[in-house]
Amino acid sequence: MADLVMKAIRKDFGSFRAVDNINLTFAHGKLTALLGPSGCGKTTLLRMIAGLETPTRGQLMLGDQEITAKPAHQRKFGMVFQNFALFPHLSVAENIAYSLAIEGVAKARRRARADELLELVQLVGYGDRRIGELSGGQRQRVAIARALAQEPSVFLLDEPMSALDAKLREDMQVELRLLQQRVGITTIVVTHDQREAMTMADQIVVMSKGRAEQVGTPQEIYSRPANSFVASFIGKANFLAGEAQGGRFRVGDYLLQAPESRQFTNNSPVTIAVRPENAVIAETENAALGNNIPAEITFIRDVGSTRDIYLKTPVGEMIVEYGAGETLRPLSVGEKVPLHLPPEKLHVFPRDVEAAG
Amino acid sequence: MRISLFGRLFMGLSAVMLMLPILVVAASALNGGRSMLFPPQDPTLTRFSEFFISEPIWRTALGNSVIVALSSAAIAVLFAWPAAYFLWKRATGLSKAIAGLMALPFAVPPIVFGVGLGFMWSFLGGLGSLWAGILSHGALFAALPLVTISIGLQSIDRAHLDAAATMGATEGVTFRTIILPQTIPYTISGFFFAMVLSFNEFIVMFFVSSSSYATVTLQIFNSLRNGFTPTMAVGAITFIFVSVAAFSLVARYGDLPRLMGADQSRN
Amino acid sequence: MSLSTAEDLPTPAPIVVREPSLWFKLGLVALLALLCLVPFLFVLTISFGHKIEGAGWAFGFEFSHYKRFFLGATWPETFQSLYIQRLGYSLFFAAIGAVIAVALAFPFTYFLTRMSRRAQTVWLVVLLSSLSLSEVFIVMGWDILLSARSGLPALLDGIGFTDLMKDLGWFQWFRDVGLASPRAFKFKTSGFATVLCMAYLVWPYAVILLYPALSRLDPALVEAARTMGARPGQVVRTVVLPSVRLPLFGSTLLLFVFLLGTYVTISVFADPSQHTLAVSIYDSVRGSTLNAPFGAAQSVILLITAGLFLIAGQKLSKAGGTA
Repeated sequence: MADLVMKAIRKDFGSFRAVDNINLTFAHGKLTALLGPSGCGKTTLLRMIAGLETPTRGQLMLGDQEITAKPAHQRKFGMVFQNFALFPHLSVAENIAYSLAIEGVAKARRRARADELLELVQLVGYGDRRIGELSGGQRQRVAIARALAQEPSVFLLDEPMSALDAKLREDMQVELRLLQQRVGITTIVVTHDQREAMTMADQIVVMSKGRAEQVGTPQEIYSRPANSFVASFIGKANFLAGEAQGGRFRVGDYLLQAPESRQFTNNSPVTIAVRPENAVIAETENAALGNNIPAEITFIRDVGSTRDIYLKTPVGEMIVEYGAGETLRPLSVGEKVPLHLPPEKLHVFPRDVEAAG
Repeated sequence: MRISLFGRLFMGLSAVMLMLPILVVAASALNGGRSMLFPPQDPTLTRFSEFFISEPIWRTALGNSVIVALSSAAIAVLFAWPAAYFLWKRATGLSKAIAGLMALPFAVPPIVFGVGLGFMWSFLGGLGSLWAGILSHGALFAALPLVTISIGLQSIDRAHLDAAATMGATEGVTFRTIILPQTIPYTISGFFFAMVLSFNEFIVMFFVSSSSYATVTLQIFNSLRNGFTPTMAVGAITFIFVSVAAFSLVARYGDLPRLMGADQSRN
Repeated sequence: MSLSTAEDLPTPAPIVVREPSLWFKLGLVALLALLCLVPFLFVLTISFGHKIEGAGWAFGFEFSHYKRFFLGATWPETFQSLYIQRLGYSLFFAAIGAVIAVALAFPFTYFLTRMSRRAQTVWLVVLLSSLSLSEVFIVMGWDILLSARSGLPALLDGIGFTDLMKDLGWFQWFRDVGLASPRAFKFKTSGFATVLCMAYLVWPYAVILLYPALSRLDPALVEAARTMGARPGQVVRTVVLPSVRLPLFGSTLLLFVFLLGTYVTISVFADPSQHTLAVSIYDSVRGSTLNAPFGAAQSVILLITAGLFLIAGQKLSKAGGTA
C-alpha cells in the first residue's frame, strides 16, 4: 500500500512563501480534501504533488520511493483541472486516450479503453463528439475519464466543481465520491467549499496562509475545530472575545463555563466560538442554568428549513439557528430573551491580541 | 445597437471612395488601345492574353512574383515561429531582442530598408539574385506571422500544457500534439499576410533586384516614366483577386476580427 | 502530526531543464541581425563614405554628405536649402495625409465595430485587400480618375461645372490654387492629388489600427451616456473620443512615419518643385544623380526624423496616459 507522504514541504515564489512546512500523509485509497480560502497555498500544494511545481524544500515520498524531483510527465498522476483543460482540437475519445496515444498504444486499443472509461463516467456514445458540443457537466466527466485513463497511482482534482452550476455541483460531489470509492484510488481534491469537502472527503486538511491549520476527518474538524480560523471556515460560528479567569472565562460582565480543553493562565486572552445551532434561546431567565446572556431580537430569518434569530447582546451580535423540526415558542422582533450558551458546546481558543479580529 | 442614418451614409460613401480607383483600373484593362481611358475604348480581352500568355515580360514577372511571395512568406513563418514560441515560453531579454529585430524593418520607411539591403547585398555579393530578394522580403514581413502566431499561442490555455504533462507528455510531445495543432490557423494566416504583402511590395525589391529580374509590381514601377498601360491593369485585377482570395481564406478558417484585435467576448 | 524541522531535510535537486535552445536562439539572433539590422548599419556607414564617380563608393569618414544636406554642396560660398526643403515637403505631405486618413477612418471604424461580427469579417477582408494593394495600382487608379482626358476634369466639363465656374467668375480661384489650366480643371500635378492619394493609401491602415481600441470599447459606456441624456454626437465627443485618444494619436503617428517613405505617389502627383526626400534618396541611390553616400546620408536623416517623431510620440502619449 503506497501512501503519499509530504515531509516539511515549503514553496517560495520569490519572497512570497506560498506553502510553509507542510507534513501530511495521504493514505492509500483515501480521499483527502485540501480546503482553504483562495491564496492559502492549496493549489500550489496540489501542483507540487502533480510535479508541475518543484518544492523549495522538503521531500515527497510515494511509498518508499522519493519523487520530489520527478517531473510531471514521469509521475503521471491523473489530474482534473479547474476549467478541465480539455483539448479543443481533439474529440472526446481522443482526449481520453491522449496518454495512451503518446505512449504509442495502437488505435483500436485506445478506442476500447476510451469506451471503457466513457462507460465508467456514464457517457457511452459520446466518443466522437467535439469538446465544444459538451455541457459543463459532461466536460467534467470527460476530464475525470481522461485523468483515470492512464491508471494513475494518485488522482488529483483542482476545484473540480467550480465550473459547474450550483445544482449540478451537489449531484457531482456524490457521484465523484462514489466513483472514487469504486476505483479505490488515492485522491486529493482542492476546494474552497466546506460542504464539498465534507461531502466527499475521508480526511480534510484546512489550510490558511500556506500552513495546515488542522488535519482530521470531517466530523472531527466540525465538532472539534483546532482554532478560531477553522471554526469560522468550517460551518458558521459566533465569536466572543474574553479572558481566562480561574477555570472560567470572562466575557464582558459575564462569566462563562466551558470544558477545559487546555490550560489557560489567568487573564490570558481567549476567543470563544459557539455554533448558531448550538446556542439556545432559553424559556425563562434561569440563573441556576448559568451561561446565560440577556439578548434582544433584531431580525428573524425564516427560510423554511431553518430559522435564524439575530440577537443583540451586551457582548456583541449573535445568531441562533433552529432547524424546522425543533420547537421554539413564537418570537417577535424587539423581544428581550435570555440566550443560553451550553458549556459543553463552547470552543475556547487562545486569542492573538496583536492581530485584529 | 443600430447604426444611424448618418452612419450608414458615411460607410456607403467610404465604400464608394474605396472602390472607385479599383473599379476604374479594372475597367481600363478592357481598353483596345495602348492608353488608359475611362470609360474604356474598343473593349477587348486581348490585354488578359497579353498579360498571362503572349508577353514574356509579364509572364516572367508574374512567375517571379509568385516565387518570391510564396518562398518569402514561408521564410517569414520559419523566422517567426521560434521567435513567437520563445517569447511565449518565457519573455527573456534574448527573446525580446529577437522580436525587436523582426519588428525593426516593418517600423521604418521601407525605402530606407531597401537602400540598406541594396548596400548589404552588393557587399555580400547577393545583389540581383532571386534568393537575396526572397530573404529580404522574408525579413521585411516576418513581423506579420510573428504577430498572428503570438496571438495564436496566447489563445492556448496554459492548463492544457500542464494537463498534457500529467498525462506523460514531455515538452517535445506537448509541442507536437497540443501547441502545433492549435496554432495552425494562426500560422496559415501569418503566411497569407506575408504572402500578399510580399506579392505587392516593390520598393525593397527594386533596390535588391538591381534590375536583373522584376516582379509584376516592380515591372510596373520600372515603366512608371512611360505611363500606365491597360496590360498593367490586368496585373492590378489579378493582384486584387489574389488578395481577396487569400484574406477570404483567412476569414473562412480563422477568426479575422480576433486576429485584427477585436475583443472576442463581444458580439 | 509530528513536525520535523524543514532545515534537516535536503533541498531537492532542481528539475533539470535542458537548454538546447540557447544556441538555436543565438543563431536566430545572428541571422535576424544580419537581415534586419545590418542593412541599417550599412546605410549609416556609407553615409560617411566617399563617393566614387560612376555609381560606386568607398569606406571613409567624411561629413561632406551631411554638410551638403544641411548647408549645400557649395557652402560656405553659397547656402542652399534644397534638401531641407525636401525634408519639409516629406513632413508636410505625410502629416496632412495621415491626419486626413485618421480623421476619416475614425467614424468609419466606430460604425464598423457596431456591426455584426459577420459583416465586420466581410469588411475586414475588403479593408485588408485594399491595404495590401500595391501603391503602383492605387496610383494607377487615381491617375486615371484625375487625368484630364477621362477623369474628374472631363466629368466636371461634361456636367457643365467648368462653364458654371467660369460664368460665376470663380474659375480664376481654382487656377490660383493650381487646380486648373487656363481652359479646364487640372489635378495632375497638384498638392490636392498628392494628399488625396496619400490619405487613400493609408486609410485602410488607419481603420485596422483603430479597430482593436474601438471594438473593445464597452458598449455599456455608450448606453450609460445615452441614459444620462447625451445625444449621439455628444456621446462620441464625451465618451468615445476621450477613451480612444491615445490610439488615435498613435495611429496618426505611425501612418505619418509610414508616409514619409512614399515614393510613387509623390513622383506621379506632386509638382517636381515639391518632391520629397524619398524621391531624392531614390535619385541618389539608383536614379538620375547617382551618389550612393549622399543617398545614404539622406536615408539616415529620414530615419532619424522618423525615430525622433516616434520617440516624441511615445513620450507624449505616456505623459497623456498618466495625466
